[in-house]
Amino acid sequence: MIGVFAELDSTVEAIEELKHKKLGDITAYSPTPRHELEHAIEPPPSPVRKFTLFGALAGVIFGYWLAIWGSEYWPLVVGGKAISTWIPYTVFGFEVMVMVGALSTVFGMFYLAGIPRLTMTVGYDPRFSNGHYGVWCECAPDKLAEVEAILRRHGAVEVRGER
Amino acid sequence: MATLVHPDEPRRPNIASADIQLPAVKDYEQVDREILSILQPTKAWFGGLLIALACLGLGIFSWVYQIHQGLGVAGYNPPVMWGVYIITFVFWVGIGHAGTLISAILYLFRAGFRTTIYRAAEAMTVFAVMTAGLFPIIHIGRPWKFFWLIPYPNWRLIWPNFKSPLVWDVFAITTYLTISTTFLFVGLIPDIAVLRDRETNPVRKKILAFLSFGWRNSEREWRHFARAYLFLAAFSTPLVLSVHSVVSFDFAMGIVPGWHTTIFPPYFVAGAIFSGFAMVWTIIIPMRRWFGLRHYVTLNHLDASAKMVLFTSLVVGLAYLIEFFIAWYGGVKYEQDYFWNRVFGQWWWAAWIMLTCNMILPLSLFSQKLRRNPTWLWILSIFINIGMWFERFVIVVPSLSHDVEPWQWSSYVPTWVDYGLLIGSFGWFFMWFLLFVKQLPVMALAEIKEIVPPKMKKAHHHHGGH
Repeated sequence: MIGVFAELDSTVEAIEELKHKKLGDITAYSPTPRHELEHAIEPPPSPVRKFTLFGALAGVIFGYWLAIWGSEYWPLVVGGKAISTWIPYTVFGFEVMVMVGALSTVFGMFYLAGIPRLTMTVGYDPRFSNGHYGVWCECAPDKLAEVEAILRRHGAVEVRGER
Repeated sequence: MATLVHPDEPRRPNIASADIQLPAVKDYEQVDREILSILQPTKAWFGGLLIALACLGLGIFSWVYQIHQGLGVAGYNPPVMWGVYIITFVFWVGIGHAGTLISAILYLFRAGFRTTIYRAAEAMTVFAVMTAGLFPIIHIGRPWKFFWLIPYPNWRLIWPNFKSPLVWDVFAITTYLTISTTFLFVGLIPDIAVLRDRETNPVRKKILAFLSFGWRNSEREWRHFARAYLFLAAFSTPLVLSVHSVVSFDFAMGIVPGWHTTIFPPYFVAGAIFSGFAMVWTIIIPMRRWFGLRHYVTLNHLDASAKMVLFTSLVVGLAYLIEFFIAWYGGVKYEQDYFWNRVFGQWWWAAWIMLTCNMILPLSLFSQKLRRNPTWLWILSIFINIGMWFERFVIVVPSLSHDVEPWQWSSYVPTWVDYGLLIGSFGWFFMWFLLFVKQLPVMALAEIKEIVPPKMKKAHHHHGGH
């Protein structure tokens, strides 16, 4: 059951009641991130940071390793200086850390947000990217009427069932 | 507390940049309607694109001529073997700095004035770094061998010199281009979804659906998006500072008078931000006028960015003076002679163009009246662009033409091939930017909507965005 709302506070109230009555899994839509919806849904913290951390660690290790291994494999001996030197190689460690860390962050975001998504046909309305808010409640068939009533009571401009 | 100020109100002292709001923007639909209306091509746009393509054509012709004739046509005169190409490379890398500064650093500092300009600045960054990246390839003379700088397993079993600043540069620029592009594209995903949902042409709709990755504006998507965006900003912040530091090492690691100094990294970074902001003005000020976006990029936004330009101008000016001080206080006669030659000798004209444009003219921004005068800001931005190109000229050419020993002294005169490629670089940059402006939203729809009060059933006082 999907409800389209024009106002933010109506959307929040509908989500709160649906959650309170435990009628099904709820997805909220909004044209822009709103803390009000996040507070109503109370999701766990985003674990994107773990992807960032592991990506950054892998990057910094690879950056230093590449420079050290390459220098040892093909030594360019200059004036008694060390073949592998960590100070200039910090440039490689840092740059590769940023590159891999940032790309793995984006990968983590995609993975956790479930994108790329191949189909848009169920549980979405183009108005959600413009000026409207949405609540999609995935519920059992016997709860449909109750969910619909809640969505309408809180001021949904349109309510429809999708499967 | 939100500060509500009419966008064209002439003056209002001490506006905190974090409080900048858009009082003339009433709802989300207005944001979509007004910003997406820019996407309609106009005659002026086609005219601009034609000029950009003509400049690019000149650049391509010059490059092809140089490849055919050899690097000798480029005006190099030993020992001045770095010239317009390296100057233009550093110039464009510098231009590329403002985008990430505005989108990442000002994001972390919650500076509200970035919201409506950061998308254009990010796109500018990507296209500027794409432009900059061409110049080392043009400079090496045999562009088909540029990949030798990249460390990769090869049958010759040789690896580049990892202690060379030129190889550091390859890593820094590659990382910067990759991350800037990623940052731009990630921010664009929700806005491409807005375009997708409004598109009626089925082919374009499919392309936009593909590019938006099936984004649906769900709370789950926004939550991970916001977190990832924060981390990308946190990564990009030191990256901005590192990139131009590494570019400055190209010079500072060389034992050449005027180059071998530890002040170069902060000096280069401040100069890059300074020139980048100037280019943002060069682009944004005509845009806000031609596209009727004065209520998005308000005088308050320009005022706040002018303060940033003034600050970086003072830092750059201080760096110029410190350079002279170090030369005098260090007591090295080669350095002293070099700096005298730079300002009062062979290259006085270039040095004074630099000092006038970058140090003296920006002092006008101490006046609030001028900070809130878009025409003056645009004129000043052109002077700063010229001044910052000449700053790089003053760094590169006078040092190489006035080395330690008099028998090495020389001169340098760019040829038409150098100028052709310089003009071509502007054509290349503006071609990409003009194409971008008509294909994708040049202002971030989702972020602007964040600072527009949402519709509420129960009216209550709204405290603005978050």
